[in-house]
Amino acid sequence: MTVPSPEAVDGVVAQSVVRPGSVAEVQAVVRAGRPLVVSGLGAHLDVGAPPARIDALVRMDRVERIVDHEAADMTVTAEAGCSLATLERVLGAAGQWLPLDPPSPERTTVGGLIAANLSGPLRASQGTVRDLLIGIRTVDAEGRLVASGGKVVKNVAGYDLPKLHIGALGTVGVVVEATFKLRPRPELEEAALLHAGTLAAAADLALAVRDVLDPLWLEAGTLERGPGVAVGVGGIAPEIAAARRTIEAVGARSGLAVEWTRDGAALRRSLGAFPVTPALAVVRASVLPTEVGATMAELHRIAGDVPVLSHVANGVVRARLDDAEALRRILAELRPAIEAAGGFLVVERARPDAKRHVDVWGRLGPDLALMRRVKAAYDPGGIFAPGRFVGGL
Amino acid sequence: MLRPDLAARLRALVGDDGVVDHPDTLRVYDCDGYTLERAAPELVVLPRTPGDVAAVVRLLASEGVPFVPRGAGTGLSGGTLPVGAPVMICTSRLQAIEAIDRRNRRIVVQAGVVNQWVTNAVRADGLHYAPDPSSQPACTIGGNVAENSGGPHTLKYGVTTNHVLGVELVLPSGDVVQLGGTVEDRPGYDLTGLTVGSEGTFGIVTRATLRLVRTPEGYRTLLAVFDSVEAASEAVSGIIAAGIVPAALEMMDRLIIGAVEAAYGIGLPTDAGAVLLAEIDGPAAGLDDQLARIEAVCRAHGARELRIARDDAERAALWKARKRAFGAVGRLAPNYCTQDGVVPRTRVPDILRAIQAAAAKHRLRVGNVFHAGDGNIHPILLFDERDRDEVARVLAAGREILEACVALGGSLTGEHGIGVEKCAQMPLLFGPDDLLAMTALRAVFDPEQRANPHKIFPDAKVCVETRTPRRQAPL
Repeated sequence: MTVPSPEAVDGVVAQSVVRPGSVAEVQAVVRAGRPLVVSGLGAHLDVGAPPARIDALVRMDRVERIVDHEAADMTVTAEAGCSLATLERVLGAAGQWLPLDPPSPERTTVGGLIAANLSGPLRASQGTVRDLLIGIRTVDAEGRLVASGGKVVKNVAGYDLPKLHIGALGTVGVVVEATFKLRPRPELEEAALLHAGTLAAAADLALAVRDVLDPLWLEAGTLERGPGVAVGVGGIAPEIAAARRTIEAVGARSGLAVEWTRDGAALRRSLGAFPVTPALAVVRASVLPTEVGATMAELHRIAGDVPVLSHVANGVVRARLDDAEALRRILAELRPAIEAAGGFLVVERARPDAKRHVDVWGRLGPDLALMRRVKAAYDPGGIFAPGRFVGGL
Repeated sequence: MLRPDLAARLRALVGDDGVVDHPDTLRVYDCDGYTLERAAPELVVLPRTPGDVAAVVRLLASEGVPFVPRGAGTGLSGGTLPVGAPVMICTSRLQAIEAIDRRNRRIVVQAGVVNQWVTNAVRADGLHYAPDPSSQPACTIGGNVAENSGGPHTLKYGVTTNHVLGVELVLPSGDVVQLGGTVEDRPGYDLTGLTVGSEGTFGIVTRATLRLVRTPEGYRTLLAVFDSVEAASEAVSGIIAAGIVPAALEMMDRLIIGAVEAAYGIGLPTDAGAVLLAEIDGPAAGLDDQLARIEAVCRAHGARELRIARDDAERAALWKARKRAFGAVGRLAPNYCTQDGVVPRTRVPDILRAIQAAAAKHRLRVGNVFHAGDGNIHPILLFDERDRDEVARVLAAGREILEACVALGGSLTGEHGIGVEKCAQMPLLFGPDDLLAMTALRAVFDPEQRANPHKIFPDAKVCVETRTPRRQAPL
């Protein structure tokens, strides 16, 4: 089905919009050999560099079946257009989850999750897409259907090609189906809030918590009432009770009160929604966990009192920026310092007008040469989201 | 044929004792843990530093010589068999632990560091390296990265790829490239994730940045005795359905129980159909409650006896049966071979029936001791290698078992790799287009196919019908 444009990605208008109704129709679209950008439900299309050109915007929302959920195997296979909210409902009925919690699950698809390597607070304990994706089916540049990995949780037959597509923004093929391993959903999920004087102090506090306990999730940043830490704990009642005592003790050592909420999942979801709030740009730094505090402090020094939130255990720091000058200064001052220490700072999302003037990805390593070869091997004609990825790939 | 001066030129790079070319010594390197096929390399090079590895590979590149990387040689699928590759490069002398960052839970090690040494280096800090293949006192991190190794505790903690943040890779050209690093969410393709499990076909990994994991506060270990493998399998499903992720969930069937009992007399009922060994770990607070749930599930599925370890000594006693199972099997027959296959865990009873059917059809004795929680089976086929007909039947049964794994929705290998052993069977699992997508990646890293040639993919040169089964090897 082809519907009238205009629709745009990062300000680049698509010449047409296609909504294939089957994998075979996806293959037909690819075989046309024209530059295309694949979209799910559109919530994360502002991740990446603006595409060079879009002949077809391929919306996957009609390829959305849950192919197979064998609860006792703890695996699920779903088509790329299936939303995370749908998955959550089906898996939840079996007491399971795919523990990846990016913002807007109702508007996030399986394909988008993989292509943009989306995650949320749960990554502190549950990992990211690369830890849960066990099999994939993609359409290659020739329009062929290609399978790799499988449906079993342990498998070393052949190269681990599912990893090729994670975070690749659709530049090496079109993901049409994916299989994930699942985990049991914790019976209880509670959360603690601790407020600290500064962002650096909040990060220190979060690390102090992590030194004594592996929480379900661990966020630090500008919370509703100022700099603080939010800790999620999950499990059965005795585990929660023990975790509460441990966290209370950490708070007491710093003379801080601990506020508890019984609905930890609700707090987690509201924290996880952080980066989609409309703004000029969201920048994301990848640093070591011990550098999170200094990174947040630097963001505030340069950009002022902007919203900042970190997945502390993973060293992921994000800040929402509202003015172009702050964005320019962060890229000019903070990015080189982080890169010099082995980290990265990317412009995760930005309005099209802001994106045009910045380098979204920043400095890349010497492995870029290999990445160019990867791109050339899987997309010799440059039809998959040209220009969207690192190094203009 | 290698140029006659190559050994001398390699000695100039790595020293006199860094090159092996005496035929008697080369025989040591003619196989790894997969002993069915043997081929000695013409030269073995033993560099001491990552830089020396690169220098050696550069020299080989200039001469167009293919090479085979090797760690400790504990691999089980013939991944280090020199086939069309006259030079073997061993990374076992690259033994430095270069950096430990306790608070960030990262460690940088050279490729020849033994798996167990990583945990030894950080145990005092309450940390450990989670992947624990049974060869962990000997196998190296370089080999673990190449094979994406597993182990009994992968059910909860994941396999090697989940714990590798970055690698330094010497490309077949001799160029050195750092993939990944110390931070998460590196922009670009996940070249680290692609390199893990590539079985040495992308080049030679010389360093790895690994994640460390908190050592559990406590353990509970339970051994449950069942009348049948079906009942034990249902208990496995029941434990999973109860929302528990045990650290390990291992099963042994009647033949293995009998062997263990005959060898060690640890009091297992020899008329039992199966025993299940379940272990949970984590914060002390939840353990007793979880253990009670596992007990209830086992009872509900007909467990006639439960033994629970309350301390480290009792835990070790329960694990003894599992860990010594392979040694015990040695008493039942002159030879045995272990297969490695995977099925969805609900299909464990089906694959066990298929294994029994293959055993009956080929008049063989087969025992099972395996990672039930992952659906990762390890049937042990008993035989006498002097009986040519029996050997042929073992090979046929092994092939049929793997075919059954694939037919049940599983895989050819869960943790041992494809190597030379199973490359002929890759088409059971992957179609021509799927295999092309994989070989395209190989060409990115190794366009001349000089790094560990003739592995993983179907190839007329090595993937011929095998004539004798693989050696007995613990998993």
